[in-house]
Amino acid sequence: MGAALSHPWLRWVAGIVALSIIPFVLQPYELDLYRKMLFWVALAISYNFLFGIAGQMALSHFAFAGIGAYTVVILLTQADFGLGIAVVAALLLAAILAFIVSFAATRLEGFYLALATLAFAQLLTVVLNEGGSLTGGTGGLTSYSFPAVFGVKIEGPWYALVMVAVMLGTLAILLRIDRSWFGRACRAIRDNTEAAAAMGVDVARTKIIVFTLTSVMAAAAGMVYAFFDNTVNPPVFGLENAFLVLFMVIVGGSGSHAGAIIGAVLLRLTQDILEPIVGHYHALGFGVVVVAAILFQPKGLIGAWDALRARIKARK
Amino acid sequence: MSAMDKTLIEVRGLTKNFGGLTAVDGLDFDLKEGEVLGLIGPNGAGKSTTFNLLSGGYPASAGSVRLEGVEMLGLPPHRIAARGIMRTFQHNMPFEGMSVADNVLVGAHTTMRSGLIPVLLGAGAARAEERKARERADELIDFVGLGEFRDAEVTTLSFGQGRLLETARALAGEPRIMLFDEPAAGLTPGECDRLAEIIRGIAARGISILLIEHDMRFLLPLADRVVVLNFGRKIADGAPDTIRSDPAVVDAYLGEAGGVGAAAGSGAEPRPHA
Amino acid sequence: MADLLELLVSASASGCIYGLVALAYLLVLRPTGIVNFAVGEWAMIGAFAAVVLSVQLELPSILAIPGAALFLALVGWLTEWSVVRPLVVRGAGHLAPILVLLGMLVVYHQIMLLSFGGGQEPLDGPFGFRRVEIGPIAGTPQSFFIIVTTIAVFVAVWLFFERTVWGKSFEAVAINRRAAALMGINLRLVTAFAFAGGAAVAALAGLLDGPRGSVEVAMALPLAIQGFSALVIGGVNRVEGALLGGIILAFAEDLTRRYAPIPSGLALGVTPTLLIIFLLVRPTGLLRAREAN
Repeated sequence: MGAALSHPWLRWVAGIVALSIIPFVLQPYELDLYRKMLFWVALAISYNFLFGIAGQMALSHFAFAGIGAYTVVILLTQADFGLGIAVVAALLLAAILAFIVSFAATRLEGFYLALATLAFAQLLTVVLNEGGSLTGGTGGLTSYSFPAVFGVKIEGPWYALVMVAVMLGTLAILLRIDRSWFGRACRAIRDNTEAAAAMGVDVARTKIIVFTLTSVMAAAAGMVYAFFDNTVNPPVFGLENAFLVLFMVIVGGSGSHAGAIIGAVLLRLTQDILEPIVGHYHALGFGVVVVAAILFQPKGLIGAWDALRARIKARK
Repeated sequence: MSAMDKTLIEVRGLTKNFGGLTAVDGLDFDLKEGEVLGLIGPNGAGKSTTFNLLSGGYPASAGSVRLEGVEMLGLPPHRIAARGIMRTFQHNMPFEGMSVADNVLVGAHTTMRSGLIPVLLGAGAARAEERKARERADELIDFVGLGEFRDAEVTTLSFGQGRLLETARALAGEPRIMLFDEPAAGLTPGECDRLAEIIRGIAARGISILLIEHDMRFLLPLADRVVVLNFGRKIADGAPDTIRSDPAVVDAYLGEAGGVGAAAGSGAEPRPHA
Repeated sequence: MADLLELLVSASASGCIYGLVALAYLLVLRPTGIVNFAVGEWAMIGAFAAVVLSVQLELPSILAIPGAALFLALVGWLTEWSVVRPLVVRGAGHLAPILVLLGMLVVYHQIMLLSFGGGQEPLDGPFGFRRVEIGPIAGTPQSFFIIVTTIAVFVAVWLFFERTVWGKSFEAVAINRRAAALMGINLRLVTAFAFAGGAAVAALAGLLDGPRGSVEVAMALPLAIQGFSALVIGGVNRVEGALLGGIILAFAEDLTRRYAPIPSGLALGVTPTLLIIFLLVRPTGLLRAREAN
């Protein structure tokens, strides 16, 4: 039995089953927390690839979630698109915008890239706020709902499965390409761009691909998010949350898929559990955790876990 | 020694100006297939500049560099690598977030043909290519003598071991031509000997080698032919034995403490060629 | 016409505020290479410090303003000592200090939210409210006070860098850390001073801006973004660039808001647009570095 579980396929099946059953045993309030957590996990996983693995410190990730969310809602409600077409069109728009923004990534490094992408996120907020009836202005869009699929209404725990699917899909795709020449090329760019180029890596092209791919993944997660509360508004996709994904990845362990998941889960749980108890202090605690992580365990929680395992192995 | 008739690289009129300073001035030389060519000269002679021009570090002011007749000047570094020219870095530039094996695998980047979609779908051809690349990387790691460090973090390697990693990584690209940037710099005599052996092994595999080097003790026994630079110009071009007694070369190095004799190890006999 | 002149005065005052924030970035960036995004929080804390000193402790402005600046200098120095220095000593790379300061941004922000809440506090300028007229130019006393103070600060900083030994050592560190250390310049002292000075300048920006509206925790992030944009536009290589960038940014914003035929909310897009344009087209900013001699 132990040997069987070590087979990757079985671990995936077990994971899918577990994640899919959970929604059906939760109270409505807990269900809401669960699917929002999955949303953040999906964002953290894709952001980890962009920042932790490819070294691109972009702050536009959450903005792309917003682009996905708004576009699909607008196309559904105002352009009367069918669900399938709306989703595809929204992904396409996100891809085009990401492609354009990715050119900034080929020309800017480090914090300058972060600021350029933050400016992009700011511009998006301005556009959303001033979009009049198209975007619903500062109040956003409400009173829409997830359309029936082949006559079947998908809601509640069943809709949570959609988020599970998108999250797992994101993880599966990124895991696959990580363990290939592409993943190594990304890490090479992160570690030493000049040496990467000397080894034949087309740095600009790789950056464009990574940026576009992960931003489209963020848009996909955003699309699912749009139907959680059936409301989208500018503050949700605003600047505060732009930093949050970055912090999750840092705390969990930048560069590690497991780290991104752990970071997102931990920070969401802390917020959801602690906020009712200690109120706003949870946010302060969170800031302290981020600072502590960078100072004492730059490899994040995953790094601490690996160090612990190594020490246990050494004792044996 | 195999017949080295075919010219692989032709450098003609290579010139580089930095503002008012001419670092390389109308340089002409050839690299023939299968040979080990040394590029030497006193400090400031233009060796590093020439190296950087050849590896795409910055654009030249004038001249041409042709690989089998095709112009290479002005190409970005990754395209030069794609043409089969791989290089090492004098100050070792490992990818510090990856293991030794993965570092070497990055060197094999230009040999990986599978597109992203096949990789994503887990196509058999893509997986086979990945497997073969790993086998080759392991082979190269053993070849340079880093076998026991295969899964180590590169930050744990000594400088000399890092140099070996540089070499294995560049070899992973299956190059036709290897450019070594002052490979002996920073190495102990024992490490120098091992590196020289490895370079001979590389040459034995049919790869053409261009070495820039300051340390003549290391270079002269290794090279089939030597080009000597001074003030950005070629002042000599020939076999190591001819070079060491060439008056122009001796003159150039006279400015250096001890001159050619000291640099080449006075009284030391050159080791026989492989 | 009078309208336009009044707008120019107001825009100049805004430009000075942005310029001060940009200067706060620059003072830390030049010698250390660290982009300290928490300067916005420092500016906000400076404004609150002025509120506490002048409103609650009822100190006159002549004491409250330097008091707030000194307090922030202490905060800046403590920040450098506690979270930045350990990273530099450890050789943690260039990204780590930037990230840790982003974490500190959250810490400062939350501490201030917990202490003062999210509401607005009034802060009076030292010269009252009556409109001041200098010839054809009119504006609030605070606007003129801001402009004069900013010019004084910039002149002082410029003189510091150009004419004093201390300032030259800052420049030396900015140009080449290792060489400067070998020349005997105490890197730790320079870094500590850079942070303290940057924080004090940021505090000035905050407390000068406060009387023009109100003081609130939410003022921090926009100031951080506008200050950084001003820095990019003006250029990181020269002190004057910070002020030039601020002025250009403020003029672009205010003139667009007043005269452009677009809804006023869209004027908020001017800053990010300019920032993106400059980062892509001219990342070194408008002013070039002075030639090395």
